[in-house]
Amino acid sequence: MDEGRRSALKKICFTAAGVAGGIPLLGTVRAASRTIAAQHAAAPQTKQLAMVVDMANMTDEIAHACIEICHREHNVPKSDDIEREIKWVWQEEFDRAFPDQFHGQMAEAYEGMPVLLMCNHCDSPACVKVCPTAATWKRKSDGLVMMDMHRCIGCRYCVVACPYGTRSFNWKDAEQSVETTYPARSRGVVEKCNFCAERLRVGEIPLCVTVSQGTLTFGDLSDPDSEVSELLRAKHTITRKNALGTGPNVYYIVEDKLRERPRHGE
Amino acid sequence: MANKTGSHVLVDRDHLMKPITQTSGGYFLLVFLLFLGVAWGAFAWIWQLSNGMQVTGLNNTVAWGVYITNFVFFIGISHAGTLISAILRVSGAEWRRPITRAAEAITVFALVLGGSQVLFDIGRPDRAMNVFLYGPLQSPLLWDLICISVYLLSSLFYLLLPLIPDMAIMRDHHAVTGWRKELYRILAFNWDHNPEQKRRLEKAIAILAVAIIPIAISVHTVVSWIFGMTIRPMWHSTILGPYFVVGAIFSGIAAIIIAMAILRKVYGFEDYLKPLHFDYLGLLLLTMTALWFYFTLAEYITTGYGGLLEELEVFESKMTGAYAEMFWAMVIFMIIAFFILSFARSKWPVGATVSASVFIVIGMWIERYTIVVPTLNVLEGRGYHPAIYWPSWVEIGITFGSFCGFALLYVLFAKLFPIISIWEVEEAEEALEERLEHMKTYLPTGTTATAER
Repeated sequence: MDEGRRSALKKICFTAAGVAGGIPLLGTVRAASRTIAAQHAAAPQTKQLAMVVDMANMTDEIAHACIEICHREHNVPKSDDIEREIKWVWQEEFDRAFPDQFHGQMAEAYEGMPVLLMCNHCDSPACVKVCPTAATWKRKSDGLVMMDMHRCIGCRYCVVACPYGTRSFNWKDAEQSVETTYPARSRGVVEKCNFCAERLRVGEIPLCVTVSQGTLTFGDLSDPDSEVSELLRAKHTITRKNALGTGPNVYYIVEDKLRERPRHGE
Repeated sequence: MANKTGSHVLVDRDHLMKPITQTSGGYFLLVFLLFLGVAWGAFAWIWQLSNGMQVTGLNNTVAWGVYITNFVFFIGISHAGTLISAILRVSGAEWRRPITRAAEAITVFALVLGGSQVLFDIGRPDRAMNVFLYGPLQSPLLWDLICISVYLLSSLFYLLLPLIPDMAIMRDHHAVTGWRKELYRILAFNWDHNPEQKRRLEKAIAILAVAIIPIAISVHTVVSWIFGMTIRPMWHSTILGPYFVVGAIFSGIAAIIIAMAILRKVYGFEDYLKPLHFDYLGLLLLTMTALWFYFTLAEYITTGYGGLLEELEVFESKMTGAYAEMFWAMVIFMIIAFFILSFARSKWPVGATVSASVFIVIGMWIERYTIVVPTLNVLEGRGYHPAIYWPSWVEIGITFGSFCGFALLYVLFAKLFPIISIWEVEEAEEALEERLEHMKTYLPTGTTATAER
């Protein structure tokens, strides 16, 4: 075999090995950009929208109002199939929403206490890392985790990768509701809470905040004078599965809980 | 070319070509039955395409199920061929000669069926091109796409290159006429059995055999990383890459043993696929069984002992919970296989390795299932207690159709191409003599000693 062909073959082999080994490496470097220092930094450098949920003053009625207006305005279809229901915002019991922050000796009030959950718009979103089409991405201008339902191929990798169960798949076609202009989704794509990106664009706040009677606070974490920043400095807050390092941006106030809420069963 | 015992390697070309030159009624029946199976799978897929993913047993909690299990399983089976054949070639195991072709064909068809599972799984297969158009390199699915494509291409070459001399033999065979003769003529690439052609071909095969080993390992590693790169309990595990590679080689060897046994029985290839082949492959399989137990133990004991809250939920569902039956069935299957291979292999090489292989192939499918599903079937905080996932008739239909499709492609391949490499078996004796000459360069032959004296 002549030298030219030999070197060509060698090149092919090295390319193959490089592709096989190098691409995961490159991908990992890009995905693992979040550091402990970033996680402990006082405030993000760039705009990051965040939500603070005041569990002490949140009632079932308020929670239901939030869910109702969100799902109505975003054309989220109602479903009897609880496991295939599409949810942007929903309620879950404290011990299952915060499994790593609940223990058996906790005050009874915590057990079964409903908590309002939604997409955490994480600093380092597990869903964004894995998406094979960049149909879900972290928006640089305000830190929202966005979703392009026209690009999504419905592989559901984000659904299985998200540790918070915030993503829903359209198992069947949705019908256009007459109550809203928000377009209905075709089946086969994934969706989730978008912090009302369509309202933010026209300078309005998310729908759930408007009916929350002050229990939901929304704003920019990078602005130290914003309402959310002040609230987070003043209160003890927790985030879901903090140890996973995703950096959730939905915070929960718990400290006033025992004073404000009647004991379980009363 | 007589060897010491006076007997020769005798290849009956007509016998090896019999599957191609003669077609029995049983063959048509088999193809028809497999075709029915594929048709059933196709119907199930069309049903799923027209009604959406709601016809599956999947839901928002368990969003991946049987299709992803099949994907991992088929990609694992694909390691049968190319990797085994490449390792045996590189290590110069002479007994590989009659089994390489049958193994390499498994690789190509298993990859085709494995890749198809992804299409069955996605909600919008019509948009599959988006992965090529927009795919970011940070998604493990892109790594898979790239590695599997490279593997498919290289294993296709690795199947076709050693076919060339056999294609020339077929082209020149008197019983071959019509479009088949034309096909063989094209695939023979003007092969006229001259030594220079052979030297180049063997060189090319040797290079490809070396290159394909890291490619094959990369493929199953990145398949495992689909799970390993997430932060879900018991997926996010550093052992997953090597664990999947071991499992892939393990199930691959079992698959090739089953394929060999069927070919041997159906085409009367007892002279070519001898008990010794089963014995040797069985020994390799036994080694892999032990390795598989080691990896499984390492994975589960670390998780169980450490006892991280999230991982324990999955761990317990496999040990004592909803997935315990499947998990322990898998363990028992592997134990049975281990004992068959240990104690019955030398006495009944064919029967023992084949029955152990059946346990292993089923056991490995269950293994893939109990890795994919239980991690998802947990409380994620979706506001309800998720039910236990069970596949629907559509998923079972597509799975059944996929297995039939795999068998059908294999059966059709054996109809068109010699499933035992004719030229490689024929030249075994020649190769052995070369090898003997080579051995003389590093073993005492008496000549050097005499000269020094």
